[in-house]
Amino acid sequence: MNLFRILRKKGNYRTNEHRIDSDALFSLSSAHITLETKLNLRSTGKAAIGLKSVSGRLFAETIEEIKHFLDVSKTDSDLSYKVIKDSYGYLWIILQCGKIEDIISGMSAVGQIVHNRDFSKQLFAALFQFSNDNNRKNNQYLVYNFALNKFYPFVPVNKNERDNEIEREIMETIVDEMPFEKDVSLWYPIWDPIL
Amino acid sequence: MPSTIRPSWQKRDSGLVARMILSFAILSLLYIIFLSVLAYLGLGFVPITIIASAMILAQWYFSDKIVLWSSGAKLVTRDQFPELHDLVERIVARNNLPKPKIAVINTRMPNAFATGKGPKSSIVAVTTGLMDTLDTEELEGVIAHELTHIRNRDVLVITLASLFSTVAWYLMQFGFYGGLYSGGMGYGGGNRNNSGGSMIIIIAVAMLTWVISFLIIRAISRYREYAADRGSAQMTGKPIKLANALMKITGTIKNIPTRDLRQEEGLNAFFIIPALSGSTVGNLFSTHPPIQKRVEKLMEMEASMS
Repeated sequence: MNLFRILRKKGNYRTNEHRIDSDALFSLSSAHITLETKLNLRSTGKAAIGLKSVSGRLFAETIEEIKHFLDVSKTDSDLSYKVIKDSYGYLWIILQCGKIEDIISGMSAVGQIVHNRDFSKQLFAALFQFSNDNNRKNNQYLVYNFALNKFYPFVPVNKNERDNEIEREIMETIVDEMPFEKDVSLWYPIWDPIL
Repeated sequence: MPSTIRPSWQKRDSGLVARMILSFAILSLLYIIFLSVLAYLGLGFVPITIIASAMILAQWYFSDKIVLWSSGAKLVTRDQFPELHDLVERIVARNNLPKPKIAVINTRMPNAFATGKGPKSSIVAVTTGLMDTLDTEELEGVIAHELTHIRNRDVLVITLASLFSTVAWYLMQFGFYGGLYSGGMGYGGGNRNNSGGSMIIIIAVAMLTWVISFLIIRAISRYREYAADRGSAQMTGKPIKLANALMKITGTIKNIPTRDLRQEEGLNAFFIIPALSGSTVGNLFSTHPPIQKRVEKLMEMEASMS
């Protein structure tokens, strides 16, 4: 890695305002087909978007607006949602829908609301759950990191263990189709199952 | 000359490689001293060349024994390491190769090498550390890599390439001693200045040849590593296993973090510049290509297969 690339990378970190990048998110709508055909990985119809919650009326209002939006869009699609708070104090909006396209557009809209309300810096990460038919129990994830503006895989096997082999396989399969984090040292996991 | 799977600049690997390099350096030094003594005693160019050739042939003939001795590898029977023998037999049977002798080095450093004069009399050596670190399929990948070195006759290729530089080295020596002892050899007299000048030219040309061939050998060696990786992928059909093995051996597989992103978030503000890895000058001199590049190529193979 040359110095220029390091500086540019560092620059990305600085200038990125955790704005939701719809192009990046929508790249998943084609990449998930590749995952299915090549690795037999299907979306479980579950995804989540995480926010670093802050106290105050404005943030609470933002969450209310998101809830309202999702309630309204329920009539158009079978997109259902719930809001939970994890042990780290992060707020997760869990989306469930049979069609991954609806999840993606739902998530993109949520991101847009957060951005419009000037809370883009609170956008943390999005999780997309996948599974292969043989093994329903072992869920695999694509993590979208808003700070990096990139996707990376996360395949937990046991408590605090991850399957790096499958993770690399996932990367090789879809790396050209979406903004993907190639530096594996940034593939930070999100443990305890939120979904 | 053995070919190890680990890049020689890897710090954790320094023990084994250093030992081998030292052994060969001592051997070369002994040759040079011996030949210099012969030259000093007034032996002519032709007899010394014959003796030197005989010594190179002897080194070639005994190369496997020298390598075993210098690496501390012990040949092992089926009774001692049945699983290892089974594993090697599986690969050679599938790929129609003669079974090599198997040696084990008792060290925790994960490493492997192949040596031998030809496919029929070759040796594959693995360390106990390698067997502990890798799972069966990864070990297969590494052994298939070494078997490809044997099949491609890489030891011969590198030895022949080295011969070029060895000859250049001898020429350098003769240029030096030839000039120094020219009196003793009967060419003395009034043209001392002249022979001094030509001696410098001979030394300069020989040195240049030696340096260039040294770099070429390293380039060939690096290319043959890629070829061995490719061969391993073809033999096992699982390039990803060799990629994993390489990453495990170098410790890079640990790069994928297990700390939760939420714990890490606070630190992200102080994004740390990763250490600069492998300078280009280092690449020029190393016999092995960087692991990162090898893993990338293996991953491309894996992707093209799925």
